[in-house]
Amino acid sequence: FQGYLDHEQFNQLEELQDDANPNFVEEVVTLYYRDSARLVHSIEQALEKSPIDFNKLDSYMHQFRGSSSSIGAKKVKAECSLFREYCRAGNGEGCMRTFQQVKKEYTALRKKLETFFQLARQAGPVDRARRPK
Amino acid sequence: MGLILRFQLRQSISLTISEPGESTSSEHHPNSNSFLRGLQVALVESDDLNRSVTRRLLEKLGCSVTPLSSGYECLSAIGPATSSFQVVLLDLQLPDLDGFEVAARIRKFRSRSWPLILAMTSSSAAEEDDLWEKCMQMGLNGVIRKPILLQGIANELRRVVLQANRVV
Repeated sequence: FQGYLDHEQFNQLEELQDDANPNFVEEVVTLYYRDSARLVHSIEQALEKSPIDFNKLDSYMHQFRGSSSSIGAKKVKAECSLFREYCRAGNGEGCMRTFQQVKKEYTALRKKLETFFQLARQAGPVDRARRPK
Repeated sequence: MGLILRFQLRQSISLTISEPGESTSSEHHPNSNSFLRGLQVALVESDDLNRSVTRRLLEKLGCSVTPLSSGYECLSAIGPATSSFQVVLLDLQLPDLDGFEVAARIRKFRSRSWPLILAMTSSSAAEEDDLWEKCMQMGLNGVIRKPILLQGIANELRRVVLQANRVV
């Protein structure tokens, strides 16, 4: 996970998990997958339009950045911030280039998270408290 | 004026410091956050993920949370004079109504100082001074920056609650 996740933010999610909310981390991450898949799709469609509606793009990316930030997805968040700068500058090409980076980081993060949950499920509840490398 | 003060006194949040042995989820700071226990909070946040996480954070602090996902939902819940919310956590970037608009309406139809309203925002540090001023002008009591961390929200809540009690 090194570099992909802000440990303080992600640890907080783990600390919010307890007997009353035993699957909290997985629920939150599932929400993230759902919301981000929708936003990625919306952004792709918006980038295909001509002329590009930069305000709309910025709004989508603001949401994407917000939820990425809440789960501690710092690389994704960084690319989102860069994207928004291009948006504000009205630079369509910059947006498209940066969006490829956003998708790349996002896909890499999803893979890491999926592995994390697979390991957590195998290990069982006792080992859940321990963080993966 | 005196009548209003008395009304606020009744509604003020009593500060209780729990016994060290008392079971609490905030193991790191057992005494500093315990006075937030039972606090009636309206959480207004449109993003599902953020709402879910912030709600758990508040519950962990012992608050009683009502999650709301839009400006209009917030106004319907808080509008009636009988609503018992002590604190409103308000996302400034709501999709239906501007957060400041919501705050302005709460201040107009409820009271100048009750419930306590805290803004939640992802503004950058550069925009922060202006934002703080605008919040104070609009009658908000505090600002919480996103992404939200437990100690951050606890500190700001504590500051705002203590200030409210001091004024009275």
